[in-house]
Amino acid sequence: MSQTTTLPPREPAPVPAPPRGLGAWLRMLGVVVRLELAQRVRSVAWYVLLVVVGLVVGGVIVVLFLSLSGYQRDLGGAIFSTTIFLVMLVTSLVTPALSGNAVNGDRDGGTLAATQVTQVTAAQLVLGKVLGAWIASLGFLAVCAPFMLGSALLGGLRIEAVAIAIPVVVVEIGVVSAIGVGLSGLIRRPVLSTVVTYLVVAFFSVGTLIGFGVATIAFQSEETYNEVTWDWDEETDETTCRVTDRTFDTTVPRPDRVWPLLAANPYVILADAVPPHFDASGYPDDLLGQIAIGVRYAQLEPVQEECPEVLPYGAWQGETAEEVYERTVPSWFVGLAIHLALAALAVWGAIAAVRAPARTLAAGSRIA
Amino acid sequence: MSAPASPGAPASPGAPEPLPASPVFVDPVRPADAVDLSADGIVVEGLRRSFGGVHAVRAMTFHAKPGRVTGLIGPNGAGKTTLLLMLASLLAPDAGAIRVAGADPVRDPRAVRRAMGWMPDVLGTWRTLSPRQILVTVGRLHGLPERRARERADELIAQARLEELATRPSRVLSRGQQQRLGLARALVHHPRVLLLDEPAAGLDPTSRVELRELLRGFAAAGGTVLISSHDLSELDEIAQDAVFVDRGEVVGGERLVLARQAAREWRVRALDPRALSYQLASIGVAFDRVRLEGDVALIALDREEHAADLLQRLVAAGVPIVHFAPAVGDIERTYLGLAGGRR
Repeated sequence: MSQTTTLPPREPAPVPAPPRGLGAWLRMLGVVVRLELAQRVRSVAWYVLLVVVGLVVGGVIVVLFLSLSGYQRDLGGAIFSTTIFLVMLVTSLVTPALSGNAVNGDRDGGTLAATQVTQVTAAQLVLGKVLGAWIASLGFLAVCAPFMLGSALLGGLRIEAVAIAIPVVVVEIGVVSAIGVGLSGLIRRPVLSTVVTYLVVAFFSVGTLIGFGVATIAFQSEETYNEVTWDWDEETDETTCRVTDRTFDTTVPRPDRVWPLLAANPYVILADAVPPHFDASGYPDDLLGQIAIGVRYAQLEPVQEECPEVLPYGAWQGETAEEVYERTVPSWFVGLAIHLALAALAVWGAIAAVRAPARTLAAGSRIA
Repeated sequence: MSAPASPGAPASPGAPEPLPASPVFVDPVRPADAVDLSADGIVVEGLRRSFGGVHAVRAMTFHAKPGRVTGLIGPNGAGKTTLLLMLASLLAPDAGAIRVAGADPVRDPRAVRRAMGWMPDVLGTWRTLSPRQILVTVGRLHGLPERRARERADELIAQARLEELATRPSRVLSRGQQQRLGLARALVHHPRVLLLDEPAAGLDPTSRVELRELLRGFAAAGGTVLISSHDLSELDEIAQDAVFVDRGEVVGGERLVLARQAAREWRVRALDPRALSYQLASIGVAFDRVRLEGDVALIALDREEHAADLLQRLVAAGVPIVHFAPAVGDIERTYLGLAGGRR
């Protein structure tokens, strides 16, 4: 628009098609990711938020360390598992806000159309937004990395716990990013899609627990058990246990019928994916293992009360947690598959919604 | 606003047969459905698009030719923005065919996007990004390699006179600066077709002149420009062709001819206003065709020939004329004629 050069020299021939192939496709994706990060993330407020989260998580870890150090020696596992759960909690609170308005926010701002009229495809646009939100949320994992390193120095941290837990958390953050971006493509109003993303996260984190609790009672069953009595022999001063012929009816909750609800809980997925480490008495010694074993116990059918085996020295022999763990089934991959399927569905829907020229429009939506 | 056309009151008896219309319009008497889809530029045939029960575009057929600036004119709600969205490959038509630089936006949107630069009326910008970042990013999204995208961004920033703001967040730009950035964004990939929706809104006079020169140069180099605007005098200066749309339809030949035949006001000023009004009366201009506003006489005339004749007579009568020109431009006159026809 300068006075001297009214127009730059234009190619007489049509501009050649941009290069094809995977490399070019990924480069274009990279441009979208950088645009997303520059547009949404790179601000002072963002770094302040990261620092605040780092300080809060750090505070919790330090308090935990000080209070536990009197009881236990190798604190590494406990500190690490707590840190990773906190990271999961923080990202599940932040990621929906980052991703839940990625598409419809751009629509409202008129910037979506500006990208749609370029050579970038709908898939690149949506996946780029997913990656952008994902990378931004991983920042919270990064600021908590020092505490994980610290836990490694404390000893007792198992390498397999780290090698499994961190990838699971990374994937879960990606799932929330994808669901957020997907919903923002499918729902017109940014506020609504963000809220729905939060509700989806809440459904999996809290809703599955509530559902499990309610369903355990709803699916309760009537069982008929034999009564067990304890006879005390005055002469020998011995107590013997005896299963009588008398029976009674009772209602028992049936967690074993509804436990798969828990499989979709992200915290359960994380806990179940990491193989637990059992202490000398056969009990898991960190938070991950304790949650995992809780879910395994839920798989057990109700059993008729029987006379316990009495060992010679008078202790009772029950099943240890380790034995229960051994004879029940893992579920984390089912839950993860459900999450990934949902994320893929949301992304697919958003790609279809972003594809232009658009045939149908949501009522009241603007294109540009 | 045009005076009622009283048929028996020509200013100049015995005027010559009307010449063909001035070359402002797409041949107005051509049947509306005769366009060649294989032609270059923008070709639209039988286009239709509705949103629920609202028929935004009912039947649009026109050809915006390469090498020319075509104005898109119509009242609010005539379907201009919907049409531009379809041309920009963002919205699929319900029926009809579009070719932008020979490509079909429905079947091959990427070819259209390679050839087409689009500047929407409400420009969305990434508010936290600087103009340079925006232009580089858009260039990259158009498939330019990093280095070329940077060079192109620098070029366009100089062209849009945004050097001082090039690294500031674009939210600090004024409306006119945003418009200039928007135009630069539309030009990033050297398009052959430009779609502009109200590009002059918010521009200062210098920028308007620059925009006009840029569009003229663009068309002169073989580009096609379709420009939607309500600034009719601006369009009169810039556009060689015009497409009038009304209630979702391109206004067809006959209505256009009629509209253009509506009387047009000419603004006449003389050093001696009294001599002017006296001579106007003595020449025989009907009094209901003359409107006096201070020193200026506004005279409704049906043809340009009548104007030439009137001027000749006034000068011959010794009236010291200092200004004799149409009060409104061709496009404005036609637009107002159409609007008058609707009432």
